[in-house]
Amino acid sequence: MIDFNSVGGAFSLLTSDWSAWIYLIPGLIIGLFFGAMPGISITMAMAIFLPMTLYMDFLPAIIFLTSIYTGAGFGGSVPAVLMNIPGTSSAVATTFDGYPMARSGQHNKALGIALASSVIGTLSSYILLFVLIAPISRVVLKMGPLELFFVAAWGLMLLGSLAGRSLARGLLAGVFGVLLGTVGMNTAGFIRGTMGVPWLLDGVPTIPAMMGLLAASQLLGLINTTYLVEDEASRKISFRQIISGIRQAISYPAIVLRGAVIGILVGAIPGVGSSISNLLSYSETKRNAPDGDTFGQGNPKGVIAAEAANSSSEGGAMATMLALGIPGGGATAILLAAFAMHNIVGGPSFIGHNKDIVYAIIFSNFAQAVLLLIVGLGFVYIAGYVVRVPLRYLIPTILVVSTFGSYAIDGTSSGPITLFVFSLLGWAMVRYGYPVAATVVGLLLGGLLESNLLRTYQVSGGDPAYALERPGALLILAIMVASVTLTAVSKARRRRRTVREMTVREQTPAPKI
Amino acid sequence: MQPGQGRLVVMWGHMALLAVIVGVVVAYWMDARAASLKINNLLLVQPASVLALILVALVVPQCFKRTMPGAGKEVPTESLSDLGKVAALAACFGAFTTTLEIVGFDVATFLFMIAALFICGERRWWLNLPFSAAFTVLLIYGYGALIPFPFPLTVL
Repeated sequence: MIDFNSVGGAFSLLTSDWSAWIYLIPGLIIGLFFGAMPGISITMAMAIFLPMTLYMDFLPAIIFLTSIYTGAGFGGSVPAVLMNIPGTSSAVATTFDGYPMARSGQHNKALGIALASSVIGTLSSYILLFVLIAPISRVVLKMGPLELFFVAAWGLMLLGSLAGRSLARGLLAGVFGVLLGTVGMNTAGFIRGTMGVPWLLDGVPTIPAMMGLLAASQLLGLINTTYLVEDEASRKISFRQIISGIRQAISYPAIVLRGAVIGILVGAIPGVGSSISNLLSYSETKRNAPDGDTFGQGNPKGVIAAEAANSSSEGGAMATMLALGIPGGGATAILLAAFAMHNIVGGPSFIGHNKDIVYAIIFSNFAQAVLLLIVGLGFVYIAGYVVRVPLRYLIPTILVVSTFGSYAIDGTSSGPITLFVFSLLGWAMVRYGYPVAATVVGLLLGGLLESNLLRTYQVSGGDPAYALERPGALLILAIMVASVTLTAVSKARRRRRTVREMTVREQTPAPKI
Repeated sequence: MQPGQGRLVVMWGHMALLAVIVGVVVAYWMDARAASLKINNLLLVQPASVLALILVALVVPQCFKRTMPGAGKEVPTESLSDLGKVAALAACFGAFTTTLEIVGFDVATFLFMIAALFICGERRWWLNLPFSAAFTVLLIYGYGALIPFPFPLTVL
């Protein structure tokens, strides 16, 4: 099950070069800082620092970005516990019991529980990935261009249909991204949509476009946001209480394990990820707990369930990204872009031929999880100050840093201009409920979809009956149609229920006071 | 309240976004067709463009909302001054990104920082000016040390 030759190769990769390790702690600290700042998402933090990885070797670059990912996972829970504001969308369920615990003076314990659950969640997800990656690679290597096309289309459709409020808007965001991703010269040599701009021949610059859609657009939207954090963040930190929280989290292995399993499974599905897994794990734990009634009033089990699930989603999302080359959301899309920056194409051939690198990434994540425990413990002491950084300073500084980053990619103004255009597009899309992550993934997969479709067309000679010879492809197509149909039906049902409830509420006479 | 009652609200901003998407999709599709009508060129672009236009047609009705109690959540509710702030920041950001190479990274960054801090709510000039200056110097020298491309500069 485990390819021990590649494991050995991974060890030599990690031990022969110190540069693989020096970015680990800075990455964790950056992730913790940005995750703890309300309004700054994990993807935003990763997008801002993505251009810096251009000048690193491949492995240190990926380790740096995954460290940010890991750090931000726990960072988001700090304002969730201290101020009832989830630092990232994956910490929403942490607020349900974390904040009531803080209100009753148990904020240290809640932070300790969140930290331990995050560490165990991350560890479990990567242990599972470590065990399963070799068999997964054997399966995915059998996939041809048609299967890859359908898998990419399926991932995109899932992302589009599950991430937004409206199915049509979600799919439109994805398809629009795909079209933008095919601008420039295709593999058959045709040039489209460049408008005479020479730098568009290679396509829309992906990294500035991602930074615009995921980071700059959100910053424009944050200008009118104020967080009332002045008083509540300044709670006294007690090391002993945090350690007792860590002990308490370890004393509920079943909840941690359930959260981790939910996190891994949900994280592996494109479009769902940690934003949903924490809520799902919370509700499952509440349903199964004998003291379910006390959830929402400061029950530590609620914090454990939420944090174990959101941090383990990282491993699940990484499995899909590494095995299929399909990013499940913004964070893995950024990792895939980092692959591309180093001229490496993620997906079956990468996992098949570079298992040593994959194992090295997994091992570095074990180290990240362990180090998070130490760095996170130190971080909670300064977290109260971090969460109070005023947005009026944060917004312009991050916009400028992003612009410099987009310029640093090739030293021309194509990066800053793309960043600006896509920040406007992203702001408008977020404002009207379009999932920008679907556009980002479409942008990344556009070229892959087209080249695989072209290869299928060339292999089959344009005969549609060729699909019948590929049962795997047909199976994926059937699952794709079924899953999108199910999503559409469930969304329509939910909308009808909401309308019915509203009608009932309107028809019920208001009580006389 | 019966279905069909309530005030009809048109989300003009959403309509404008859809108009932009339609404009980009149609222009791209036509450009691709002008490049070549061969299947190798249009295999993905043409069906994806058609699908995008169908999806736009499905979304258009969502731009018209009846305002009923509880249904207003989908309609963005920022005030005009809030939107003005976003527009002002976006305009400054646009000017910054397009003139960087012309006026120099140092001058452009310093001016953008002053304007953006003011728009974001920093009204204390004695804080705004030194912060903008210090941040500009730090970034030009700090980032400049990291990347191999020289930033075009005017003053520093």
